[in-house]
Amino acid sequence: MIYIIDHNDSFTHNVVHQFSLFDEVECDNYNEINKTKLQKAKVLVFSPGPGNPKDYPKTSQIYKKFKGKKKMIGICLGFQQILFCEGAKIIEQKKIYHGFQSDIKVVNDRSLFKKGKIFKVGRYHSLKLKEPFKINNFDITMRCLKSKVAMSFENNKEKIYGFQFHPESFLTINGHLLIKKILSA
Amino acid sequence: MSKKDQLSDIHNSGKSYIIYKSQKGFDLYTNFSKKIILNNNNIGSFLSKENKNIPGNTNLYIGFFGYEILNNLIGIKIPKQKSIKFPKGIFYKPEKKISLSNNLKYENKDKHKNSTFKININKNSYTKVFKKFKKKIKSGDTYQIKICTKYKTKSMIDPLSFFSKLSKINLAPEAFMIRDKNYSIISCSPENLITKKGTNIFTKPIAGTVKKTKSLNKIKALKYFRKNIKETKEHNMIVDMERNDLSRICKPGSVKLSKQKTVEEYKDLFHYVSLIKGKLKKNVQNIDIIKAMMPGGSVIGCPKINTLRLLNKQEKENRNIYTGSFGYIKFNGDMRFNIIIRSILNFKNVSEISVASGVVVDSNAQHEFNENYIKAKALIDLFK
Repeated sequence: MIYIIDHNDSFTHNVVHQFSLFDEVECDNYNEINKTKLQKAKVLVFSPGPGNPKDYPKTSQIYKKFKGKKKMIGICLGFQQILFCEGAKIIEQKKIYHGFQSDIKVVNDRSLFKKGKIFKVGRYHSLKLKEPFKINNFDITMRCLKSKVAMSFENNKEKIYGFQFHPESFLTINGHLLIKKILSA
Repeated sequence: MSKKDQLSDIHNSGKSYIIYKSQKGFDLYTNFSKKIILNNNNIGSFLSKENKNIPGNTNLYIGFFGYEILNNLIGIKIPKQKSIKFPKGIFYKPEKKISLSNNLKYENKDKHKNSTFKININKNSYTKVFKKFKKKIKSGDTYQIKICTKYKTKSMIDPLSFFSKLSKINLAPEAFMIRDKNYSIISCSPENLITKKGTNIFTKPIAGTVKKTKSLNKIKALKYFRKNIKETKEHNMIVDMERNDLSRICKPGSVKLSKQKTVEEYKDLFHYVSLIKGKLKKNVQNIDIIKAMMPGGSVIGCPKINTLRLLNKQEKENRNIYTGSFGYIKFNGDMRFNIIIRSILNFKNVSEISVASGVVVDSNAQHEFNENYIKAKALIDLFK
């Protein structure tokens, strides 16, 4: 079972439908987490959402508790949330991408995806990862072709993954394939 | 008796009635046997009421949900605001339905004086609010937010005269009119929020409007929208948000974007429209559908919950009907609802017109303030 933690977003249920293609999915608001589901879940997904990772201490607790024990995936805010828990700084960016389709490129050969491959993806983020960023086992694996902003990380050792873009958006081409690969990793 | 006389007769009789745009023309509903004034206590039972499904074209409730009650329904309280104490929602059970053509002929006996409208926020205050929300976008608290402004005037109006004039200028697909004893609503809403037939549901968000001119045809309008990055981004956001809202109540994998960013042509306007369809999950009730879809995202902003909270903190005056929904619930469970925009509410001899335009990261306060006025002007001109 995949447990999706919703941060009051208007895109979370697109994420739910996307993951439902691959496994049974449960979804609750971050304020109403069900402990049984949390224990039972094989995969935890941190949804997109408004605001800043520091607004969601409960989600940070969950991440820290299950790091290395369960596969975890963060999308948009969820991506930032995981990095924030790992000590990274999340900052405002000059140019903001809301409802924007961008080309992004796989830049790391430790990625599950082929280095050099380009994806068309949908973006809805005000904030970004502050770089340089270096944490053990975490690799930035995709970047925006134009701005070079970090678009995904992979920690294949502890099975932790994050996308700054939205694989569930209609603006993302073949988003399902990205999720499928991460889930089967 | 001809249909034209029928309309005038019903109007002149002083009876309450409702007109709603149909595919071929308009439907008129009257002879109301029940009138339900909604509040937070009775809305739940109203929406979960089982009605005997007997055939007949008046086996439905028709009416509207105001903005406030739709917030309350999803657990959002609205801080104390200036209010005219207009009901939060009203539904009627009609006993008579008449089909009318698109050409609503009505002798205009309306002799109201030329009215001047007052706006409830000036350009300076609007700019301040605008800047504040832009900061909220930069910090990620909202991605798009629609600030409401209101134009008001004191006036007695003849709603049918206004509505027939309006439908000549702009035959909007979700137009409606309500004439009751103590209030009237005239609307040329273009936007369908919910069409539910059996287990099929669809929504048809509009984001992007351009006025028709001699040189601007449908193909050029599409080019205009595609080139306009701001409109495209706003539209994309609404599409993903509406997909999300449908996904709450639809079977996984059934939510499909069946028309993506197409142009629809109306008498004087082009709209940039998408159509999203889904198949309802088993055991989903109408109240679940309403809670998932309303208030309609395209007139609020995104993400919905946080943006509603920001808006409600900011807006000093009750939105009343504006960005609520009008439509009907049939006794067999089918529904059709619009989003109430481009509307005049006349209550206690005051007419109010509300408009909103979006703050996104690259919008400009001056431009949006003027845009609001252009949106209101089509309705304000009816008072001339």
